[in-house]
Amino acid sequence: METIWIYQFRLIVIGDSTVGKSCLLHRFTQGRFPGLRSPACDPTVGVDFFSRLLEIEPGKRIKLQLWDTAGQERFRSITRSYYRNSVGGFLVFDITNRRSFEHVKDWLEEAKMYVQPFRIVFLLVGHKCDLASQRQVTREEAEKLSADCGMKYIETSAKDATNVEESFTILTRDIYELIKKGEICIQDGWEGVKSGFVPNTVHSSEEAVKPRKECFC
Amino acid sequence: MAADSEPESEVFEITDFTTASEWERFISKVEEVLNDWKLIGNSLGKPLEKGIFTSGTWEEKSDEISFADFKFSVTHHYLVQESTDKEGKDELLEDVVPQSMQDLLGMNNDFPPRAHCLVRWYGLREFVVIAPAAHSDAVLSESKCNLLLSSVSIALGNTGCQVPLFVQIHHKWRRMYVGECQGPGVRTDFEMVHLRKVPNQYTHLSGLLDIFKSKIGCPLTPLPPVSIAIRFTYVLQDWQQYFWPQQPPDIDALVGGEVGGLEFGKLPFGACEDPISELHLATTWPHLTEGIIVDNDVYSDLDPIQAPHWSVRVRKAENPQCLLGDFVTEFFKICRRKESTDEILGRSAFEEEGKETADITHALSKLTEPASVPIHKLSVSNMVHTAKKKIRKHRGVEESPLNNDVLNTILLFLFPDAVSEKPLDGTTSTDNNNPPSESEDYNLYNQFKSAPSDSLTYKLALCLCMINFYHGGLKGVAHLWQEFVLEMRFRWENNFLIPGLASGPPDLRCCLLHQKLQMLNCCIERKKARDEGKKTSASDVTNIYPGDAGKAGDQLVPDNLKETDKEKGEVGKSWDSWSDSEEEFFECLSDTEELKGNGQESGKKGGPKEMANLRPEGRLYQHGKLTLLHNGEPLYIPVTQEPAPMTEDLLEEQSEVLAKLGTSAEGAHLRARMQSACLLSDMESFKAANPGCSLEDFVRWYSPRDYIEEEVIDEKGNVVLKGELSARMKIPSNMWVEAWETAKPIPARRQRRLFDDTREAEKVLHYLAIQKPADLARHLLPCVIHAAVLKVKEEESLENISSVKKIIKQIISHSSKVLHFPNPEDKKLEEIIHQITNVEALIARARSLKAKFGTEKCEQEEEKEDLERFVSCLLEQPEVLVTGAGRGHAGRIIHKLFVNAQRAAAMTPPEEELKRMGSPEERRQNSVSDFPPPAGREFILRTTVPRPAPYSKALPQRMYSVLTKEDFRLAGAFSSDTSFF
Repeated sequence: METIWIYQFRLIVIGDSTVGKSCLLHRFTQGRFPGLRSPACDPTVGVDFFSRLLEIEPGKRIKLQLWDTAGQERFRSITRSYYRNSVGGFLVFDITNRRSFEHVKDWLEEAKMYVQPFRIVFLLVGHKCDLASQRQVTREEAEKLSADCGMKYIETSAKDATNVEESFTILTRDIYELIKKGEICIQDGWEGVKSGFVPNTVHSSEEAVKPRKECFC
Repeated sequence: MAADSEPESEVFEITDFTTASEWERFISKVEEVLNDWKLIGNSLGKPLEKGIFTSGTWEEKSDEISFADFKFSVTHHYLVQESTDKEGKDELLEDVVPQSMQDLLGMNNDFPPRAHCLVRWYGLREFVVIAPAAHSDAVLSESKCNLLLSSVSIALGNTGCQVPLFVQIHHKWRRMYVGECQGPGVRTDFEMVHLRKVPNQYTHLSGLLDIFKSKIGCPLTPLPPVSIAIRFTYVLQDWQQYFWPQQPPDIDALVGGEVGGLEFGKLPFGACEDPISELHLATTWPHLTEGIIVDNDVYSDLDPIQAPHWSVRVRKAENPQCLLGDFVTEFFKICRRKESTDEILGRSAFEEEGKETADITHALSKLTEPASVPIHKLSVSNMVHTAKKKIRKHRGVEESPLNNDVLNTILLFLFPDAVSEKPLDGTTSTDNNNPPSESEDYNLYNQFKSAPSDSLTYKLALCLCMINFYHGGLKGVAHLWQEFVLEMRFRWENNFLIPGLASGPPDLRCCLLHQKLQMLNCCIERKKARDEGKKTSASDVTNIYPGDAGKAGDQLVPDNLKETDKEKGEVGKSWDSWSDSEEEFFECLSDTEELKGNGQESGKKGGPKEMANLRPEGRLYQHGKLTLLHNGEPLYIPVTQEPAPMTEDLLEEQSEVLAKLGTSAEGAHLRARMQSACLLSDMESFKAANPGCSLEDFVRWYSPRDYIEEEVIDEKGNVVLKGELSARMKIPSNMWVEAWETAKPIPARRQRRLFDDTREAEKVLHYLAIQKPADLARHLLPCVIHAAVLKVKEEESLENISSVKKIIKQIISHSSKVLHFPNPEDKKLEEIIHQITNVEALIARARSLKAKFGTEKCEQEEEKEDLERFVSCLLEQPEVLVTGAGRGHAGRIIHKLFVNAQRAAAMTPPEEELKRMGSPEERRQNSVSDFPPPAGREFILRTTVPRPAPYSKALPQRMYSVLTKEDFRLAGAFSSDTSFF
């Protein structure tokens, strides 16, 4: 089977250590919580890489390049270098760990500093929502923070797969819409958005090519 | 008509179209267009406001029709207006004359600054034009003109359209139109005369009045009064004492021969010629009545000084040569050159020879020099001497593009530390620690992906531009770049930090070249620190061991010599931190520790007990409250190595490699291993600083959230804290556990380098050496555009032009989007440069006008403000009213400008003067008139008279006339009552 997608997006996943960034990505890309043989993902060293195709509309596939980052302070100088080549990102906090929520603004501030005057499209993710009894951050205050910062908010669980697929779909669609509006463009040498492989059928080609023309206007 | 329509209807019913002639089909087409555009009936609007023709919005709609095989375009021109209650008014005002006829008498929009010619000639707010579609086609013969006019007449009659319909005849450049407008019981014929020469009597008002009256042919006596509007236009091209001050750049003056004569930080600015080429003064008499004024070929009352209205427009030089625009454009052209530096300078053989010599010298110096660099070698004088030697070497080459003085000036501009009294040894140049600036202008480099405006990279860009513009173009650029690369290598080899670069890792928000230079500075910094560390170590060893101790040292086993020396160096360092009173005790401890150390080395590697006896090394400071889990010792945070700095291209290479490992578990593990060097290094430092520590201790420092504590009740019933690693940390064979088991207790100073500054420096130097001038120009173009934008901002702030502020913001926004990415399109770059040039021209225009109107010389505040406002309007509006006409502030200045020009022109050769004196008329007028003959004379004559018979309805009649040197044009609109004719 020939792989067919119209765009490739590079996304970055950031947040404090142990909030569950890697588990979220494992669940999304491999469809499983790594619990059969081991209870958790290895702690990330530097950055890790995942990839998956996502169909946002019938016949429209986007290839996602996903960069997982180590949340420890010591790795920050490595991981922050990846912001510049990302078009979007997930900002993950742990709803059972209030401090990780309080650091959300710090993460945003850092990302902004490294990509200005451009911006990364972020989705705020409240992770580990299966642990409701240990919740320390209410949905309302998280939604307020995300609205103040210009992000959407979603709560997920890698353990029971709650909203995992939805979170990636939401962010990918938002980026796709911005590309169609011309607010985000394909640029030679920039890895954030790349055009993909399209078959020769007229309909698909036209759909894929049209937004690019708009971008260059 | 009724009889005609019936047969046509019959023909239509039997669908036999062959009986329709081409002419009939053409007429039908015209009617169809008029119907499609809903131009049927009268659409009355409100009276036209003053100036609406200029301030309002005009729109047009077009279609194409054919007469046989001849194509015509049909265009509807109209002024956008609020829609009125059409149907109601139609019912109420069924017999009113068409709007267009009423507009013929309107006076609020006479002589509009910018308008379609038919609007200017007839004062119409709406009309339709039929013209040949192809530019080369023309309706020339009289019979064809009449045929078209007949078609128009029939179409208007059939449809009831009351919008004027014009036909363009003759060649298009002549702008000849005839047309017709029909209303209920009324018609206006639009006629035109266009001649090159005209009898003298008709070039004045009296003659034109005669034409108008005879054309009207009104039988009434006396004739109703004719309303007259007159406009004379005078052109000024000679500015006299306001000679344009800006000269083309003089290369010799810039070189001067003096050091410092060149100002490499300053960009050129302004136009080389006056950007204002002409000033047009329009003097207007808006409303005269016949009989008040006399204007004939013998005498004229129309003195421009007395005109009640003055307005001015300026004509701008088409493309004035702008210095800044040329400057940037010439640099941009380098981006397209293919030659390499060696090809341009043609000295490959010489270079190779130089390299060989350098290699030999380097090898020899390595053999003969001691481990540390002698102090005298680090002196500035030595550096200057070396630089001069290089310069002399280059002077030997016959065709050196840059002469010695220029090169010296540039190098001192780029590297001001070369002349500093203060040696770089032991200190960092203040240039390297630029204080972060919060100003908006300073931070432009982020948006442009350029470099800070006080940085070396930015200055280099300016110098290369200057060299390109003033000193031999491409060769000069290649030469300077070659010198620059040599300087970079010199600084690397001699541990001289590069000035003008912010300290720290490469800033990915700057251009790649800036990042490379920052990377090189990182390498120099590390190398320098390492060399100084060695020197300190040697010195301490000397201090600690006097003669006898030295002898004892010599007796040590040769294999351990190096390691022992380093350890003692460390001891010395620790010793320095102790107070003098502890000296004796420390020495005693030192002996004891040494003995233990020797024992340790000779013993086998053992378990925790033996490790606990290791001496701690490489401690930075004690953690606030944590202690080691097993032995209760305080936990120390170690000295750690800095991670390797990265430029964006290296980062991209790395991410490609990491991505190619794929998404399998093996790939993930390999990725983690490839990136674990930093983690391993930190673990080794931690072990060295905390003998007897465990992975749990490390995690508590490094990744606190991976150590989970909870309260439990022990056997005695007390509540105590119990901690353990997080679940993910306990996964067998995860990278952290692997690294921990591999890590040896080695302080950062003795570890393998995370950042091999030697190799990285060579990479950077090689990268610099292989850059062609085109590559270099591409790298530095963001800096050049950045500098150009700052320059126009600076110049604009002196002038305060609001439209320019907007354009500059647009340029910044546009440039940010284009320059942010690695490979911007040439077309977009050209557009940016073009915009910058336009702003430059605009500012130059403002300066020209300010000089001409003497805004700087005004002493009275009111007058100054008045003139500044006037100048500002001139820049932004096509035509500006002069307040107070010839007696206002601006008017007086304009008057003077014309007078001066006239006097200059009056300095005629004696022969002409004699001839003029011979003429009685000339003798009568001794003085030269203040104004030249008008370049254009325009007249609008209006009246309302019954036509064609005395009992006909009184209707608007209008005639417009314009006379220039080569043109005479009459445009007449003559209305008739058609009720009985």
